[in-house]
Amino acid sequence: MKLPGRSPRVASTRGVNYATSPLLASPTPSWRSRLIVALVGSAFAGLLGRAAYVQIIGAEFFQKQGEKRYAHTLEVPASRGRILDRHGALLASSVPAASVWAIPKDFVATVEQRKALLKLLGMEAREFDARLNGGSSNFAWIRRQVDTATWDQVKALGIKGLYETREYKRRYPEGESAAHVVGFTNIEDQGQEGIELGYQKDLQGHDGSRGVVKDRLGRVVEDMGELIEPSDGRDIQLSIDAKVQFFAYQRVRDAVLEHKAKAGSVVVLDTQTGEILALANYPSYDPGDRTRLTGGQLRNRALTDIFEPGSTMKPFIVGLALENGKARLNEVVTTAPGSMVVSGIAIKDAHPHGSLTLQEVIQKSSNIGTVRVAMRMQPRELWEMFSNVGYGQKPQISFPGAVTGKLRPYKSWRPIEQATMAYGYGLSASLLQMARAYTTFARDGEVIPVSMLKQSQPQPGLQVLSPQTAREIRRMLQMAAGPGGTGTLAQTMGYSVGGKSGTAHKQEGKGYASNKYRSWFVGMSPIEKPRIIVAVMVDEPSNGVYFGGSVAAPVFSQVVQQTLRMMNVSPDLEVKPQVMAKAMPSVPESF
Amino acid sequence: MNKLNVVLLLAVIFSSMALIRSAYDTRRLFDAIHKAESESLRLAGERTRLEAERQTAATNLRVERTARERLAMRTTTPAVTMYVVDPAAKPRAAAASGATP
Repeated sequence: MKLPGRSPRVASTRGVNYATSPLLASPTPSWRSRLIVALVGSAFAGLLGRAAYVQIIGAEFFQKQGEKRYAHTLEVPASRGRILDRHGALLASSVPAASVWAIPKDFVATVEQRKALLKLLGMEAREFDARLNGGSSNFAWIRRQVDTATWDQVKALGIKGLYETREYKRRYPEGESAAHVVGFTNIEDQGQEGIELGYQKDLQGHDGSRGVVKDRLGRVVEDMGELIEPSDGRDIQLSIDAKVQFFAYQRVRDAVLEHKAKAGSVVVLDTQTGEILALANYPSYDPGDRTRLTGGQLRNRALTDIFEPGSTMKPFIVGLALENGKARLNEVVTTAPGSMVVSGIAIKDAHPHGSLTLQEVIQKSSNIGTVRVAMRMQPRELWEMFSNVGYGQKPQISFPGAVTGKLRPYKSWRPIEQATMAYGYGLSASLLQMARAYTTFARDGEVIPVSMLKQSQPQPGLQVLSPQTAREIRRMLQMAAGPGGTGTLAQTMGYSVGGKSGTAHKQEGKGYASNKYRSWFVGMSPIEKPRIIVAVMVDEPSNGVYFGGSVAAPVFSQVVQQTLRMMNVSPDLEVKPQVMAKAMPSVPESF
Repeated sequence: MNKLNVVLLLAVIFSSMALIRSAYDTRRLFDAIHKAESESLRLAGERTRLEAERQTAATNLRVERTARERLAMRTTTPAVTMYVVDPAAKPRAAAASGATP
């Protein structure tokens, strides 16, 4: 389409030829523009190269570097489980503590600050210097696990180069009375003894962690990465009753000190459930302060020390003989003239008794009477009885160091050994094993496993004797602890008791030491329906008295009396009351 | 058309401001939660410490000594104890064991 009045020629003459316009002709040489283009181009190429390097080749490195500047991993600490007694009282628990550390090369303190620091941390200057300058210049522990309050005071001193790390410290409120049961942990929170060691896996917690983004001011502003939940350790509730434990510990400690003995142990068992209500040893230690600790203090003697059970074995022999029909309850055994010879070796009674009934054999603790009854049975029968009640068997208890004791196979017994084993020599057991064996009599012939953990029902046991025989033996044990018996000091006020004392020369090397004794007493109460078994052992009493009936029986008596009272067991014996009740008219209360 | 564009532009500006504001709030609140969690952990630790201290202050040894020395108390024996039968406890015990009187 053509516009009216305009010819194409006119248009071309009015047009401007830019390329040849002198006004636009550049005075600069053309190489400069090319140079600029080349420079800009190469700069872009450089940027592109750098971008490629950052994004592709070195991406991982740069991402990591970036992350380091905002991402942090926070430790979420888990605490170790607590150890509780049967009523929930704390026996061990972890409390937060501050561990003080320093960067030695940054450490700067004035003389006053240094003095105050040493006082707060309770350290000598020499020890402090050794720690500060002893190792790396970047890190040194100054003091582990101090109270958080102490750390707050240290922090207030404003010393440069001193820091803290939060840790957990174990506290043992019951101290030395429950030390052997509870045990302790090392500074790394690993169980070293007792329940702390035996249940390490359950008690131990597992720390968690979470990735977070922190801002410039160190505030946590976002979660990132994976979250590992911390899992706290499980609480362990023991069968121990802290009150009974304390009382038992106190009594055995007093007895050891009174008789100038080397050591002593007490075990208290609940006959209804097989739970250990108390297990105390003296000498003991404070698990929270273990400086200057000796091996003797650490030993849980009730579980680790084995000795020959002596006279406490006699009721088992008589029980077995009654059960097998090898003896009758009212039969008379001749023990005159106070000694007998088996395989050329003489067996003696401490005092000649003449003729004794079977009950009196136990009551008077006659070796000869027991041997005469034992020799009517086969070694296999005796061995089965001993091993059924736990002698020579490892106690089924998850507690470190519990020993098995010794019981030789019956095939290797000689007649003299069968005779001596009948009155408790030639085999050995721990105090706990002896206490457990006596559940046979307390539970009408059934021996049950013992437990260190709280449980409401006993684990299935093994019927060893008939209920009738067990009751007969209980009556004999009552006689043994009664007038004319060997353990009269075991009597309590209000509760009937029965038990057997034991005394033995201590074994030294291959023979027996003539002037070193071990005394013990194992018994139960109330005798008709026993609720507890108490076993007491005193090692090397050396204050003139050494018979089990004189040294261990009084401890038994006090522990029984106190424990049954605390367990709300009503007395089964008549006691002359010293309080009088008077009927008072009731007055309605006004509010 | 131009008016609509202005409205949309304003909407975009406000929404981006709100986004910045909410992101800031989220971070602030997140920090507050973290601080509260740390405080709760600290208080839980403090609680276990106090429980342990209470137990230490009330050990049987200390209670016994205080009772004996300061309060002049002594251990009871069956001779100085009056045993009473709880009339309410008996029928309950019988019912629990399924026994008939």
